[in-house]
Amino acid sequence: MNFSNFPWLTTIILFPIIASLFVFIIPDKDGKTVRWYALTVGLIDFVLIVYAFYQGYDFNNPNLQLVESYTWVSDIDLKWSVGADGLSMPLILLTGFITTLAIMAAWPVTLKPKLFYFLMLAMYGGQIAVFAVQDMLLFFLVWELELVPVYLILSIWGGKRRLYAATKFILYTAGGSLFILVAALTMAFYGDTITFDMTLIAHKDFGLNLQLLLYGGLLIAYGVKLPIFPLHTWLPDAHGEATAPAHMLLAGILLKMGGYALIRMNAGMLPDAHATFAPILIILGVVNIIYAAFTSFAQRNLKRKIAYSSISHMGFVLIGIASFTDLGMSGAVLQMISHGLIGASLFFMVGATYDRTHTLMLDDMGGVGQKMKKIFAMLANCSKASLALPGMSGFVAELMVFIGFATSDAYSFTFKLIMVSLAAVGVILTPIYLLSMLREMLYGEENKELVSHTKLVDAEPREVFIIACLLIPIIGIGLYPKIVTQIYDSTTHELTLLLRHSVPSLQVKTATENTSQFIALNAPKIN
Amino acid sequence: MDSLKLYEYAWLIPALPLLSSMIVGIGLISFNQATNKLRKVNSVFIISILGVCLTMAIALFWSQWQGHEPYTKMIEWASAGDFSLSMGYTIDHLSSLMLVIVTTVALLVMIYTDGYMAHDAGYVRFYAYLSIFSASMLGLVISPNLVQVYIFWELVGVCSYLLIGFWYDRKPAADACQKAFVTNRVGDFGLLLGMLGLYWATGTFDFIPMGDRLHELVFSGQVAGWLAALFAILVFLGPVAKSAQFPLHVWLPDAMEGPTPISALIHAATMVAAGVFLIARMYPVFEPIPEVMTVISWTGCFTAFLGATIAVTQNDIKKGLAYSTISQLGYMVMAMGIGAYSAGLFHLMTHAYFKAMLFLCSGSVIHGMEEVVGHEPVLAQDMRLMGNLRKYMPITSTCFLIGTLAICGIPPFAGFWSKDEILGLAFEANPILWLVGWLTAGLTAFYMFRMYFMTFEGSFRGKDHKIQEQLLQTAGITVSGHGHHGEKPHESPLTMTFPLMALAVPSVLIGLLGMPWNNRFEEFIASPNEEVLEVAHHFDLNEFLIMGGNSVGIALIGITIASLCYLQGKIDYRAIAEKIQPLYELSLNKWYFDDIYDRVFVQGCRRIARGIMEVDYKVVDGAVNLTGLATIISAEGLKYFENGRVQFYALIVFAAVLGFAIAFTVIS
Repeated sequence: MNFSNFPWLTTIILFPIIASLFVFIIPDKDGKTVRWYALTVGLIDFVLIVYAFYQGYDFNNPNLQLVESYTWVSDIDLKWSVGADGLSMPLILLTGFITTLAIMAAWPVTLKPKLFYFLMLAMYGGQIAVFAVQDMLLFFLVWELELVPVYLILSIWGGKRRLYAATKFILYTAGGSLFILVAALTMAFYGDTITFDMTLIAHKDFGLNLQLLLYGGLLIAYGVKLPIFPLHTWLPDAHGEATAPAHMLLAGILLKMGGYALIRMNAGMLPDAHATFAPILIILGVVNIIYAAFTSFAQRNLKRKIAYSSISHMGFVLIGIASFTDLGMSGAVLQMISHGLIGASLFFMVGATYDRTHTLMLDDMGGVGQKMKKIFAMLANCSKASLALPGMSGFVAELMVFIGFATSDAYSFTFKLIMVSLAAVGVILTPIYLLSMLREMLYGEENKELVSHTKLVDAEPREVFIIACLLIPIIGIGLYPKIVTQIYDSTTHELTLLLRHSVPSLQVKTATENTSQFIALNAPKIN
Repeated sequence: MDSLKLYEYAWLIPALPLLSSMIVGIGLISFNQATNKLRKVNSVFIISILGVCLTMAIALFWSQWQGHEPYTKMIEWASAGDFSLSMGYTIDHLSSLMLVIVTTVALLVMIYTDGYMAHDAGYVRFYAYLSIFSASMLGLVISPNLVQVYIFWELVGVCSYLLIGFWYDRKPAADACQKAFVTNRVGDFGLLLGMLGLYWATGTFDFIPMGDRLHELVFSGQVAGWLAALFAILVFLGPVAKSAQFPLHVWLPDAMEGPTPISALIHAATMVAAGVFLIARMYPVFEPIPEVMTVISWTGCFTAFLGATIAVTQNDIKKGLAYSTISQLGYMVMAMGIGAYSAGLFHLMTHAYFKAMLFLCSGSVIHGMEEVVGHEPVLAQDMRLMGNLRKYMPITSTCFLIGTLAICGIPPFAGFWSKDEILGLAFEANPILWLVGWLTAGLTAFYMFRMYFMTFEGSFRGKDHKIQEQLLQTAGITVSGHGHHGEKPHESPLTMTFPLMALAVPSVLIGLLGMPWNNRFEEFIASPNEEVLEVAHHFDLNEFLIMGGNSVGIALIGITIASLCYLQGKIDYRAIAEKIQPLYELSLNKWYFDDIYDRVFVQGCRRIARGIMEVDYKVVDGAVNLTGLATIISAEGLKYFENGRVQFYALIVFAAVLGFAIAFTVIS
């Protein structure tokens, strides 16, 4: 069989979706067969992903690889076209990895197991499709399709206020999606040729005003997903009610779709508008970091606390995207990957704690670490990863964003000074809320009331295994970040070049000061 | 061993303890009970690995002493586009010296731990933590650039967090470890900003090129002078937090909640000295900016005074030593600030040995006291319950006396040479700095001998239940029933007394390396800036006698007053305390720093956070819900919340999309 002729990405997307349909015909009385089935499918698909990329992906090529394109509707040039470049490839890998672990995390699910695993597998394929498709309309379709399983998982397996949370989730994201649809159609029909192909759209010249309009619309759509202040309020509600596997998918993958699409479309297709919007992105990023960190500190509900911490960490993605430097862009992508792993691990641990304490309120806990030493150790390590401890991935990503933005020549010195200082306040706030959480939950004397009516058993091997699987890449990236950055370095480099071309003052390196007509000003040049 | 080979494998010095702690850590997570049972196997394994590191460190130090070239090895660590960042290690005079200090103290503390933690359930975990701390600290001192320093800087911080909170079921320990970490993060905030600023200006993280380029840029006017000073002061914030300098010193006394061996290792000898080490590394940047040097020297000077004034009234033996550490670190920082590069590092070295010994002695005392008063820190650590321990603990008391003489600056003990050198140079730089340092030396002698007399002389007060109850009452603790405790304290086992005796040797002798007429230490540790070399003063016997006489004189005055108060009882210190009530209260309440910080920062931060959360609930959530799409649907949709109709809406969206897709397929 010839490697390059085989439709690898299509297989990877469709295999779990087709496999999910068989869930219903599997004879299964106690719900224990079906979870092994789902896990096997997940693992096979993950192995397929790894094999396909190992064999067919070249790190040094910044363009799309493993491309497949089949005409679907020829009249409007709708194609089933998939491919992977440095942006999608690591995220596809992450999706396979996190979703397989989420299936394993869902082991104790007993309510309607068939429907649950059907949805998990359907989501598996749907999420990969979001990162792989290269057609605007198709992108919109899979983006929408993938919402439905999430909605159902939230609304059936969630906590007490699950319906409110699920509804809010679907309204926010569906509302955002309208902007994607309008923007996609506009971009497709604008100009002489009608095309939904992303690469071709990227070459269209929309003119600055239309670009700004499109950019703004897409920013709202993806801002809901990332999420960006003030469109973030669905996330704490959704997280507050979700179960552990749903958390892992929400924090690990769904939020990354927003960041991915922001880079792929807003930055990649509308670079001129990006030059205007970039300072706004920086400000929004800083607001995300500080605002969400403070809110997280005030939250007493564990899941909501971690949800806000996710929002805070996503602020770094925004700053990185808008930095106009290789390092910043690379840091933004790394932050997405890193947060995918860290967020998933932290939410998994919170879920595991909840299974034992049956409460999410910090006031009802206290000293639970005394009986659950392994949970203590794992939760503490995940928190340290989240507060960007060196030696773990979050630190590298944040440092790259910091250095990238601080050395960016697209902004004035004063702007950078203020923004970097404010963003660095997050460095103080993050340990405050995370360590307070640990202290109130695990440290101190045992809460007698809690201990009297719950049985606090320590972690089982399955849980240790899941956390180990997540911590190994977290630490691996932290120790030697090149493992991951080299995957996408060429792509982000090309993208940064494109973005820099759109800022007049950056085109000519030797430009004198104050020539910029944008908000982005020149920094003092040092040779 | 071939010396180049030795340098090539120097990276093993931090890597080996890291490896050993990881092996033990994985054992603890995977086979908890089995690992915990093999106590001695684990501790011997970890100690012998550190022994290997010590051997290598001494070999490297000897090679550097013999005049071997500095050695640096780098690998590319992260890159993006044109940017690349390398990591590696560098072995030069300063780092080889630090390696020896850290490995010797760490090894002795680990041996001591075997006795001190013998009955603790977390014995193995403690060794794992000690080992990972040693790895981070050793990595810090061989870091070749600022980013790598920052990385290990944070890692030692988190190790300190873990070790302070080692007894995690104690609430004070839980509070203290968080306080330590967050306070240090405030310093790291400055360090990070300063680092970014310096990189923005110079394009490098390497210490010497960074300094050279910065000053070229300032000289040529491309970077404003105030900006360079700002960046440097921001970087200095890191050492301010790590070395517990005013105004970020508040975490160190609380850190005494951790087990005593780590107070000796981390909070006296090594980690807190990392701040001074970083100032030394940053000398190429700091030294040519006079404003920065002034800030550094005054910070150090004030901290030295502050620490000493608080130490005077402390009754907890460990807290007293902690404030004394703050004060001594102040001396070091002041020395760095006045350009006394090698004097500051000299004091770092002598202090590391004698203060580690003092802390270990206090641990030995606590260990002995627990026999009498039980495992209650409020009782076991309070000097009001001690007294006459010299009779029961001869080795501990002798070592403590040696440490006390060393820290007071009595010749020929180690502290005399280093402190005298600092004071001498301070006099040349600014007589006011000298005056404050000189007065502080008097205070030091007073509070150290107060401590010594209260603990080891007089009569034993451990069985005095009146004092016990009073102490428990002030601490707000109720102890249910008095256990059966022994009548008198005992000397500690050999594993604990051996490290004390071993540390007593350098506490007496190591100062002789830096005798002003034959200062071999200074020859070895020279500042990277050549101008400073010339400042290194020529020995003048008269000057030495005057300065030394002054320091010894005030120390003797301090000792005399202490003995009159606490040994002979000729001066009633309680009456004096009452006469100067406000000053006494100021010292007893630690100048009210904790209260002010709590009210302003802790409560303030909570209030802001709650405010923002309210805004998030009521304004942001509400506003977004009410605008746009939600205005239509929420009015209609709310009705359907209860009966689950919204699921129906979702299905419609889904069906519509699906219909779209099918329709297109059909058309084609």
